[in-house]
Amino acid sequence: MTGEALRSERLRKVYTTRGGPSVEALAGVSMEVRRGERVALLGRNGAGKTTFLKIASTLLRPTSGSIEVFGHDVARNPDRARPYIAVVPQEGKPFFHLTPREQVYTYLRTRGLSRETAKARTEESLERMGLTEIADRLAITLSGGQRQRTMVATVIATEAPLLFLDEPSIGMDPFARRDVWESLRTLTQRGSTILLTTHYLDEAEALSHRLYIVERGEVLVSGTADDLKRSVGGTLKVTIPQGAVQVDAFRSFGACVADGEHLSVIVAPERIGELMDLAVRSRLTATVGPVTLEEAFLRVVGRSINEE
Amino acid sequence: MRSSDVVAPAPFRGLLAFLWTEALVQAHENLAMATSMVVQGVLLVFVWILSPGLIGVALVGAILFSMFAMGQRVLNEAAYIRIDHKANDLYLAGPLSPEAYFLGLSVGILVVYLTPVVILGVLAEVVIGFAPASVGLLLLLAAAVWLFAASLGYVFSTFFRDNRAIWAYSSLFFNAFGVLPPVFYPFGKFPTALQPIALLMPPSAAAALMQHAIGATALSLGQLELAVGGLLVETVSVFLFAIVWARRTVQGA
Repeated sequence: MTGEALRSERLRKVYTTRGGPSVEALAGVSMEVRRGERVALLGRNGAGKTTFLKIASTLLRPTSGSIEVFGHDVARNPDRARPYIAVVPQEGKPFFHLTPREQVYTYLRTRGLSRETAKARTEESLERMGLTEIADRLAITLSGGQRQRTMVATVIATEAPLLFLDEPSIGMDPFARRDVWESLRTLTQRGSTILLTTHYLDEAEALSHRLYIVERGEVLVSGTADDLKRSVGGTLKVTIPQGAVQVDAFRSFGACVADGEHLSVIVAPERIGELMDLAVRSRLTATVGPVTLEEAFLRVVGRSINEE
Repeated sequence: MRSSDVVAPAPFRGLLAFLWTEALVQAHENLAMATSMVVQGVLLVFVWILSPGLIGVALVGAILFSMFAMGQRVLNEAAYIRIDHKANDLYLAGPLSPEAYFLGLSVGILVVYLTPVVILGVLAEVVIGFAPASVGLLLLLAAAVWLFAASLGYVFSTFFRDNRAIWAYSSLFFNAFGVLPPVFYPFGKFPTALQPIALLMPPSAAAALMQHAIGATALSLGQLELAVGGLLVETVSVFLFAIVWARRTVQGA
């Protein structure tokens, strides 16, 4: 096996429809995920994240380029790659007429695990995801968040060498999201590798060793969350609710983003006193906080991650 | 990584486990589903009242068409899993082979709903009094009709993006294969000019062969050859195509 869990080179995917225009979903994506890493793909809707994950998980054929999972060519020899992977599909649901316990257990059995191992992993996974109390209720009676937890529990229980999770915590409450994060951290400590997509920037930051920001089918930037935040040009963000009208007065401090009357200024720590003085003299209120991935994303993509 | 969990790929890996999964799903579904499978049995009451002499023919037709209906259920189930649940992605992006997915799904449905057909079989035995060879023939024909319908259903299921569109086609199949051709009524009542067509449609071909076996219809040698040959060729070719198609469509058709 190679040192990387996943490697793609100039991966392209063009969707063609009868009578309609072609759509280039991936425009040459190159990336690598090292073994034991947790890597997040960040991007707006339609950026190409799910297409990449579907190709990587052997569910879609690329138009050109190459992609390997543990050294196995995913497009040419998907059968070789499949035993190494497990996937939480976007908007995937468990069988409504299985209980979470049955769903996880039977799934592990289809992957070839022995009865004893499947049973032990099922119980552990259900407990980790907080599903023990509802483990014997049919999924049709569960809430959307509980069903999503069942999907994640199913895939986590595989402890597959490479896990793909497409928006894994969507629809979950904050406690359940943290259960997911904790479970994924444990999995990588045990040697699994994780590639996930998410719309939650806090999730990407809290969970991933490295991030790829994708827009219009291209990787715009990659690195650690700290790398990306540093690239914004400062480590502090000053928020001035009525400051947009005086944006020119603040430009010398760093990058300014005006949104309606609201102004955000990215500033280095050594200039924060000077900036606050100016705000006070201008009779403006201002609050200081750390730069987040939101600012990094905005700087790189030019739009918010939630903007359609 | 649990490298010990990584299994080598094989053509039917995971078949029994996925069959068990699907059977569990079906077993948990409500009784209405099972009831729909015995609707032919209920309709036999009318035959019993209106034309008791045809009850044997109708029972054989009900058995064969119930098998067809169970095969057809694969169309709805496979499409539902793929479109509404995206659970096919969960299963196929793993060591479960595409062939095992298709067959596990089909047989999983079959084993749960087989009971009503067995009941029809017992009724037929009481009414007709099958010779041992006829029982064997009936089992073979029932298996062929089911395999044809399941294979056709699975292939068709991959073409749809909306579950509601499938209802129309299910109804079309039901009428084209079960109501119009001579499945529930004697083969001889079907217009002579159209009889070759009926012998090329698996459910009516199987019904004609069974009617011939129990003495309810007399087929010529040419008709027998057409029915047997057609049923064999169509069932095997549609099944093999479904196996190939199951693999091909994992990464998008």
